[in-house]
Amino acid sequence: MSYESPIRDQLVTGGKTYRDVTRDITRPLENAPSKGWWIGFSLSTLVLALWIGATTYTVVVGLGAWGLNKTVGWAFDITNFVFWVGIGHAGTLISAVLLLFRQKWRMSINRSAEAMTIFAVICAASFILSHMGRPWVAYWPIPLPNAFGTLWVNFNSPLVWDVFAISTYFSVSLVFWYIGLIPDIATVRDRAVTKARKFWYGFFAMGWNGSAKTWHRYEVISLILAGISTPLVLSVHSIVSMDFATSLVPGWHTTIFPPYFVAGAIFSGFGMVLTLLVIAREVMNYKDYITEAHLDAMTKVVMVTGTMVGMAYITEFFVAAYSGVEYEQYAFLNRAFGPYWWAYWTMMSCNLLAPQVFWFKWARTTPWFIFIMSIIVNIGMWFERFVIIVTSLHRDFLPSAWAMYTPTITEVSILIGSFGLFFFLYFLFCKFLPTINMAEVKSIIPTHHEGDHGHDSHHNHSHETAEKGAIHGN
Amino acid sequence: MENKNSYWKGLEELNRDPQFLQHKKNEFAEGIPLDEVFTEEDGGLNANRRDFLKYFGFGISAVALAACNKAPIKNAIPYIIKPENITPGIPNYYASTTPSGCSILVKTREGRPIKIEGNPESPIFKGAASAADQGALLGLYDNERLRGPKASGNDATWEAVDADIKKALASASNIRIVSSTVNSPSGKRAISAFAAKYPSAKHIQYESFSLGSIAEANKIAFGKSVIPGYRFDLANVIVSFGADFLGTWISPVEYTKQWSSNRNPENKKMSRHIQFESHLSVTGSNADVRYPIKPSAEGVYLISLYNKIAGLAGVPTLGSMPSVELPLNMIELTAKELWAAKGSSLVVCGTNNLDNQLLVAAINSLLGNIGTTVDLDNNSNQHYSDDAAFENLVIDLNSGSVDAVIFWNVNPVYSYYNSTKLSEGIKKAKLSISTNSSIDETSALCKFNAPAGHFLESWNDAEPKAGYFALTQPTISPVFNTRQTEDSLLRWADNNTSYYDFMRETWKGILSGNGNFEEAWVKSLHDGFFYVAKTASAVKFNADLTSTVNTAYSAYSTNKTKKELKLYSKVGVLDGSLANNPWLQELPDPISKVTWDNYANISKATADEMGVKDGDMITITGKNGKIESIPVLVQPGQPNNVIAVAVGYGRTSGGKVAVGVGKNAYAFASFSNNSLQYGNFDITIEKAVGDYELAQTQTHHTIEGRALIKEASLAEYIKDNKAGNHDHHAILKENGNLITLWDEHDSKGHKWTMAVDLGKCTGCGSCVVACNAENNVPVVGRAEVLKRREMHWIRIDRYYRFRNKENNNISKEDEYNDPKTGVDFQEVSVLHQPLMCQHCGHAPCETVCPVLATVHSSEGLNHMAYNRCVGTRYCANNCPFKVRRFNWFKYRENDQFDFNFNNDLGRMVINPDVTVRSRGVMEKCSFCVQRIQAGKLKAKLENRTIKDGDVKTACQQTCPADAIIFGDIHDPESEVAKHFKNERGFFLLDEYNVQPSVTYLTKIRNVDEALVAEEKHSAKKHDATKPHDENKKEESHS
Repeated sequence: MSYESPIRDQLVTGGKTYRDVTRDITRPLENAPSKGWWIGFSLSTLVLALWIGATTYTVVVGLGAWGLNKTVGWAFDITNFVFWVGIGHAGTLISAVLLLFRQKWRMSINRSAEAMTIFAVICAASFILSHMGRPWVAYWPIPLPNAFGTLWVNFNSPLVWDVFAISTYFSVSLVFWYIGLIPDIATVRDRAVTKARKFWYGFFAMGWNGSAKTWHRYEVISLILAGISTPLVLSVHSIVSMDFATSLVPGWHTTIFPPYFVAGAIFSGFGMVLTLLVIAREVMNYKDYITEAHLDAMTKVVMVTGTMVGMAYITEFFVAAYSGVEYEQYAFLNRAFGPYWWAYWTMMSCNLLAPQVFWFKWARTTPWFIFIMSIIVNIGMWFERFVIIVTSLHRDFLPSAWAMYTPTITEVSILIGSFGLFFFLYFLFCKFLPTINMAEVKSIIPTHHEGDHGHDSHHNHSHETAEKGAIHGN
Repeated sequence: MENKNSYWKGLEELNRDPQFLQHKKNEFAEGIPLDEVFTEEDGGLNANRRDFLKYFGFGISAVALAACNKAPIKNAIPYIIKPENITPGIPNYYASTTPSGCSILVKTREGRPIKIEGNPESPIFKGAASAADQGALLGLYDNERLRGPKASGNDATWEAVDADIKKALASASNIRIVSSTVNSPSGKRAISAFAAKYPSAKHIQYESFSLGSIAEANKIAFGKSVIPGYRFDLANVIVSFGADFLGTWISPVEYTKQWSSNRNPENKKMSRHIQFESHLSVTGSNADVRYPIKPSAEGVYLISLYNKIAGLAGVPTLGSMPSVELPLNMIELTAKELWAAKGSSLVVCGTNNLDNQLLVAAINSLLGNIGTTVDLDNNSNQHYSDDAAFENLVIDLNSGSVDAVIFWNVNPVYSYYNSTKLSEGIKKAKLSISTNSSIDETSALCKFNAPAGHFLESWNDAEPKAGYFALTQPTISPVFNTRQTEDSLLRWADNNTSYYDFMRETWKGILSGNGNFEEAWVKSLHDGFFYVAKTASAVKFNADLTSTVNTAYSAYSTNKTKKELKLYSKVGVLDGSLANNPWLQELPDPISKVTWDNYANISKATADEMGVKDGDMITITGKNGKIESIPVLVQPGQPNNVIAVAVGYGRTSGGKVAVGVGKNAYAFASFSNNSLQYGNFDITIEKAVGDYELAQTQTHHTIEGRALIKEASLAEYIKDNKAGNHDHHAILKENGNLITLWDEHDSKGHKWTMAVDLGKCTGCGSCVVACNAENNVPVVGRAEVLKRREMHWIRIDRYYRFRNKENNNISKEDEYNDPKTGVDFQEVSVLHQPLMCQHCGHAPCETVCPVLATVHSSEGLNHMAYNRCVGTRYCANNCPFKVRRFNWFKYRENDQFDFNFNNDLGRMVINPDVTVRSRGVMEKCSFCVQRIQAGKLKAKLENRTIKDGDVKTACQQTCPADAIIFGDIHDPESEVAKHFKNERGFFLLDEYNVQPSVTYLTKIRNVDEALVAEEKHSAKKHDATKPHDENKKEESHS
């Protein structure tokens, strides 16, 4: 519980008590799933089946099942990969960077944002595997000691950097998320009535006892992991962007890519967080925890990053013109006015123009509108990667090799199916784990609501002292 | 002293205990209880714990190992008695000859032919071979060839078939043998032997795409019924009227060798090549000046040219025609050029029209070319077709006056214009025999199939040029129960000599006067040919040409505003006889880059007029025939109002590769003036429903103003040998000052490099087929080519360039499609650029591969380790030349790709020195690294250093134009090192400094500005869609 100046918006509204927080957040875990959950879960399982089918077909038949050709070697596969990696970035940004900056408003959204990160990285990793000609030897780009003599990986290759970047990102995010979950899992364990629940939640609570010492360690490890994660927010997408930036393909060979990709990643990540939270606060009735103030803050981030990305688009054009390199100049003209002009202008309008509506307060606080905008943002960001990859490759240096790319049903199925994978995991998460960090949220319940706070669950503690004096939100 | 060792293991050793000394001999301190195991007295095992563990361990491991072995067991059976000359792993080369008469070497490995290469010893073909010659190899491994004789469609034995045939022949009153060109001396003797037994037998030679009128014209003009030996190497001015002599006409390999030998700008002198033609041919695309003309106008062009030259020569002209709207100025310029080079000029014509051929003979005679560039003594025997005799045969068959007909390596039911009439005739014959090697349109109608084998299984001889006797020797035992036709004819004539002995008899005559026959025979067999050239003599022209004027004028004037059809053949499947060959079907057409199809070539103006565009369908109706729904290809360089369609497609039988590919255009041929005509002036065209995408390997046709190809005129080059190439020399200087990220590669030892002369490359496609054969490149089929996934390691890029109203070059798509620029699409400059892996010194592909599957060798090669590749395709994306090819599917043993890699027989063509790539890996040109290794090994075995020419890449070896040069640049004497110093040399994407190992030499055209300007003018003038007045107005200018 923290003191809050009356002139500030409350971070948690509705006069919640500790007990309310626990009850609200553990409700989905302890009761039979709602009808809405069942519908959502079944639907995502169906779409997941599409993903499994299409991916299996690709692995069995070969990459010929896709629309790639001798000129366009990457298209939907790497577009989807970059898209999903980008989505993940918001989770890390919210939980790590905002923790370091002591933005307390993050507390009610960081859990689901981190979960989103992990699931998004799983989706991204699936594309790393499936885009390979021989996925059964996918471990070869990892520098494993081997008995094949001098076989080693090429440390010059950005794809090897990717392997390190993504695997580090995934493992750090997973550990960070899991450690953050431990106090809440312990809460669920303590409330559990069945043996199985007691056993499993007990197992994953790792013997959490809520003592001052454990809380102290929890705080310390959170800070350390936040410190480790923060550079990842910048490094992962920078490295992903180097897949393109270090090549010599006109349209890829651009030094602006690392910051531009990071901004884009945060942009799309916040878009996805908004999509998820607008639904969650409706369906799970978390409006008091995920308030309009949250939406307001996040849409501001969306607007700023969207504008940054838009500036990068324009800068690219300027640099291409200024460079005097005809291939570079053609690549950008071709993007905007070539056969894939529609993709370029979809990207431009979704990413640069559309977010400008968030200059208006109404737009920032109207959930249904934000939901639509969040979808538009992610359509735009998917097209950004498609534009970068396909329009650069399809017409590069030698006009004789110019080709068009058209996706096959298999590729479209895998793209749609990856959302199935994502939501399948997300729905399981909603059912089995607390989607809001109860322990942290309890620390930001306003003090001036004097309620029955004696009924709190047994670990209501000292860790608020750690946050004493923190400057929070907005 | 006895015990040197001052240390001891125990007191026993120190004390030299006798018991210890005795045991010391044994390896183990305790005895091994072998005896106990081996002497099982009571039948039970007397094993202890250790034995149990031993056996148990062995048993488990053995079972586990056995269970692990999932791979199918494939036995490699070694020779028990090694055949003489065959060493596993070492190829043998045998000199031989293709049915087209080209001298070749057949590379065999462990007894199976795996590649056909030109025979470098041959003074005529000089080591080159065409795409079709090389592709013929795949016919040997065609799984659909007949496996034995058939009688009335049922399998039979040779004995039974022979007996039945002989019985029928004996009672036949009129026998006809219909064959393609037979220039084999022994083959002719075999026919004579047959005719001696059956006096009513007559031999008719029939070619699907006939050139019969050339010989006919020469008979009238010079009294010699021959196709002359043309000498393009001696000609300083070449004028061709529709003769595609660099692509398909008579002897393209020979002519390309000759033509390219006179295309060296370094000599400050090149031949000037002027082409008048009705579709953009390979030859036309390489001409210095090209005039698109309508087929019906060829006669008046020739007459005008004759008259102009006659004027210059001071001999009577042919009498003037009523006004013709020809660009006479252009004809005059051409005449002047020819006259200036009299005696060393050459005029050829590809039309099978007696009048036109007579005119050409007359022009050559006027120019004094007979005996120099037109050699009637060293004549060609490569094509002979008696169109009139065949025409009569069809009539006779239908009237029932011919009892027996034998078809030998011909398929007229497919290629004759009135196929229905011919089929009915064949059905009426009492005896019909086909010796074609598969069931095709003709052999399916015959009562007996007496299949001949493939030429690689047969003995034979040939005389493709007068005095040039060539031998064909078998390189494999017959795969199926086949018998070559010559043998069959001898059997049916009751001559039981084997054709081999029969042939040796012939050669006793040929080689007489050359010493010991056996020695001369063995030498000829070893060399593959025996050649005595004759001296050419001038022959006087003696024919009346007056009648040609009216015929030519009426053809011209009646068709002036009509649409016309022109048939042509493509370098791949030629007349259709090679249609079942997947290599050749997938070979992109040198001009249109279309694979697996024929189509209607239409000019842009005509297409606009008809309201059609690429991919639309049209229906063409002629007097005799009709093509329903053929796709349109808007072809730059195509004359307006002329539609050109390739023959050789639309087979209805003859193998699963051939059937259903394209449409049969032979129905538009016609018979008139004693010869078969391939231009049809009486057609109607209408738009048909539907659309159809042609599978092109290149879909963007201009260079977009990029400096990827460089060209200059000869005049400019003589003034400045860096002409057109200044930016390369500037960049080279600049690149020298650049800092590079990458370490220089160790450059001791060899560094393999290649030079490609853009001035010589004709785009013929021989290298593509050579590469396919050498490197086991899979065929992927039309559907995959449509998806831009062909696997060819070498491609030939073809770029068009146009000129606008102001006569400036236009190569950007936006510009030439803009009507304001006023581009006339009939007038086009073409450039062919072969593109293989450039083996960059700083290869962009190498730095991005995560697993080091593509790496640089110490000899400057960019290697590809297939079994390390994980298939990320990053290398292909980062390759600026897009030469890398990905295995999207498993291309072998996969019914989706039912070509030669899908059956055991077809796979026998695989080169064992080159890995067959698996699914999911990247591949690309290796500079034939297996040939480099073989060359190095050979030099090592001969205890010498490798010398220039020891290693030739497959593409270089076969190139008829000598446009590709390969070698070690560190050898300063090597050809390639000299080419790298040539001022014409440039690298692709110089400014990126990826340091390619391939240098391209600037294309030098021997253009004359006056002629080029005229070319533009004439193209416009010849546009028959324009109203007359306008044409006339323009004429008054000229």
